[in-house]
Amino acid sequence: MNSFHDPELEEVLQEEDLRHIASVLSSARISDPPLDDAFRTGLRRQLMKEAWAMSEGRDSWWRRVFAPPGPRLAWAAAAAGVLLIASVVLMFGLQPPGANTIAIHSSIDGDRNVELHQPILVSFNQPMDHPSTERAVQIAPATVVTFSWEANTLAVQPTSRNLAPNTQYKVTIGPGAKTASGKQLSSPQTITFVTQPPATPTPSPTPRATPSNALGEKQLTTLAGASALNGQWSADSATFYAIDGNGALKVVPASGGTVTVIAADGVSALAISAAGDRLAYVRSGKIEVLIFASGQTAEVSPTTTPALVGWAKDRLLWTDADGIDSITGDGSIEQIAALPKTGSSAVVSIAPDGAHAAYREDGGLFLLDLASGKSVQVGQANATFAGWSPSGRELLYATENQVVVADMQGATRATLPHAEASWSTQDAILLGSDTDLYQVRPDGSSLTRLGNGTYHTPAWAPNGTAFAFTRGGALWIAAAPALPPLPTTLEQAATVVNAFMKARLDGDAANAGTFLSDNGKKAYGTGSLNLLIRGDPKFTRYYVLAQEVIATDPDSALFVVRLVLTHAKIDVSDSEETLTLARDSTGGQFVIDQATAGSRRDLGNGAEVVNVDVEPDIVKVTFDSDLDPGTVTDGVYLVDSKGKQVDATVSYASRTVTLSGLGLKEGAQYRLVVKTSVRDVQGKNVPAEYALDLIGPTDKKHGNKKDEVPALPSPAATPPAA
Amino acid sequence: MSDPSRDDERQLVELARRDPRQFGALYDRHFQQIYRFVYSRVREQTAAEDVTSEVFMKALKAMPRYQDTGRPFAAWLYQIAVNAIADRYRTLRPTQTLDDFHDLSVAGPALEDVAVHRDELRRIWALVEALPHQQRTALVLKFQEDMKIEDIAVAMGKSPGAVKLLIHRGVTRLRDEASSLRPVE
Repeated sequence: MNSFHDPELEEVLQEEDLRHIASVLSSARISDPPLDDAFRTGLRRQLMKEAWAMSEGRDSWWRRVFAPPGPRLAWAAAAAGVLLIASVVLMFGLQPPGANTIAIHSSIDGDRNVELHQPILVSFNQPMDHPSTERAVQIAPATVVTFSWEANTLAVQPTSRNLAPNTQYKVTIGPGAKTASGKQLSSPQTITFVTQPPATPTPSPTPRATPSNALGEKQLTTLAGASALNGQWSADSATFYAIDGNGALKVVPASGGTVTVIAADGVSALAISAAGDRLAYVRSGKIEVLIFASGQTAEVSPTTTPALVGWAKDRLLWTDADGIDSITGDGSIEQIAALPKTGSSAVVSIAPDGAHAAYREDGGLFLLDLASGKSVQVGQANATFAGWSPSGRELLYATENQVVVADMQGATRATLPHAEASWSTQDAILLGSDTDLYQVRPDGSSLTRLGNGTYHTPAWAPNGTAFAFTRGGALWIAAAPALPPLPTTLEQAATVVNAFMKARLDGDAANAGTFLSDNGKKAYGTGSLNLLIRGDPKFTRYYVLAQEVIATDPDSALFVVRLVLTHAKIDVSDSEETLTLARDSTGGQFVIDQATAGSRRDLGNGAEVVNVDVEPDIVKVTFDSDLDPGTVTDGVYLVDSKGKQVDATVSYASRTVTLSGLGLKEGAQYRLVVKTSVRDVQGKNVPAEYALDLIGPTDKKHGNKKDEVPALPSPAATPPAA
Repeated sequence: MSDPSRDDERQLVELARRDPRQFGALYDRHFQQIYRFVYSRVREQTAAEDVTSEVFMKALKAMPRYQDTGRPFAAWLYQIAVNAIADRYRTLRPTQTLDDFHDLSVAGPALEDVAVHRDELRRIWALVEALPHQQRTALVLKFQEDMKIEDIAVAMGKSPGAVKLLIHRGVTRLRDEASSLRPVE
């Protein structure tokens, strides 16, 4: 059966059996996949909502209106007035829009992830009387706002410019609103939405010069037909020592200067010592060692033909058909590790630290510990060696479909896409191929495409910035941008908290339990804490109220999570859980080790704390409501474990009370107190005294970055020509 | 002579470019094929829904910057889908069996031939799954989605020549591996 004919593929599928394969491939029919119609229509609705928002935002009229005070304010179609708005909850008007019905629409109605820096846009289906409509707007929590109009759309903007984080807003247009023709709104209409958490500043990647031509690729020299790179960088990353297709050993400056030749032919392998002061290479059955400082070359004559060279610190190693050899103190040659006598075996690489060697035997890949002489097999029968970590304590091997990161016992640490790989001193792995280049962390995270094109046998320079590769039989050099920074301790802990809370929201107790230590399981198995929260009001969302790193070595973090309960789409109450996270027994993943519960509070009765940011010198307490500033100074404070108030400078702006000049002690206990004397701008007091227990934080904000690699001295002398 | 369906599509694209609220018509037109393609790659309904949402949301947001290069609008959507799938699933492989997706009940020839062909079809598509990512994508877009080489080039961000090379390499590898799997007769 071969009826395949496709003019587009004629030139590449000329052989009969290739066309047969193509014919088989093209004869497969695709069944309709399972599809949830609710998903299809729901996605359409979501897209249309977004499209409306884009359409409204396209002219950015509200941005112009609400730009910082200045002449532009006068542009507003109606004068923007400042209003204090009472908080009430009213029913939604659901009449279908018609000529005699006032219909109201807001693109954020029902949204549970509204950005903080935007106005609340309310669109009407007909021209409205501005003063009466503005007077009819009521918003909860209590918020000072300004108004502006564009055609039939009203923009309600908090004067603090941002909406409060983690807050459900209820915006009601009361029956006092009239159309331009004098018709009154028949019933109040309410828009509800929930805002995002506050933005957390993320550390920016280490700046690295971005070359104008993407990676700054530069061809340095041709390699006389060599398609794979055979060579090594100098320790100072200034020079690449390459063996070309004719066996010539070339010294190639990374800056693009003149290429010199150490040996004109016969070179098959090379290795630079760890200190960067000597270069050993195999040439015509002998080993020559070039000492950079003096430019002198010493010769070693093994009794058997050497294949590869390597270094264990300053000790020269080489391989032959029987194993790994070296020179003893008296100058004699000794075998330091033997290859198995059975089967056909050959060493393929010596680790950078000279402690291990990888060898193939009868199609399998093995790791040989040079000190003990013991071997372990790595991967399955088809595994091929792909590289070492810079320390030589981990290796990469390739299977048919992927690159595997493994430890010295052959245990898999991670899998990466299939490619030719190189592992940098900055723990970035380059993955090159015929068609593209990627960069990834050894754990498989942060996979980033760096370029399209041919990047064969990439090789990182020791500085972790430059890399060499081959393309079209030539040696090229380029520079890769830094990978994004590793997650901070707090971010790692937050990932666990979020996964734990999401599992609980999904009603998946088994999954939630996987984030708990034995202690944590006890906390949720007894007492007032339940993994799953059932009943009405319903557990619908959570947010992190406060988070801090409270100890290092071992790391520990404290999270205060607020669980919000909802009835008929309105948030009616919340409660807090304080979670203490610690690294698991292996020191890797965070687990929730302790948990305590707070009492449940009803919402809608006055200002509520929605975010607490804790640092050693400063604590910022954000409320959902605009406050009466005069009630803040004595109403928000911190006490220590003995109940003594901690000295602080108190300031207030944009719903946030800032206690500064604190000097909190790491690991010490504190309590944040909000007294009932604190009032919102409506004059409503905080309904009950609020207390939040905190621990003096460490100032470890970020971590896990590797130190910069110190530059090693460059080889001093230009090697003599062969 | 212009293609009426292409003219119609151009008009829809132009409308949506000027006014994102017109994007719904493009969504209705292309949802099924993009969802089907995504599902064929990830083979898990929730994941397919996530990726499809991401594709259309990105497309909507990028509509004002969309430029008609003469290729079908779907090629651009496939490009977004290919990248979205690659980002999320580069290190993962679908777990569901092929039989659940590719309809292997070919009608027409005698039953015995059908059975042989079905077996070969299953075997070849199983081998496709083991191909390197780029080759696999090129083969799927060509033979499963029946796209033109130039459209695949757009979708994969490559030149038509590079796409042909990927297909050639992929098919050659399938030929080599299929022959090594063939039972000894």
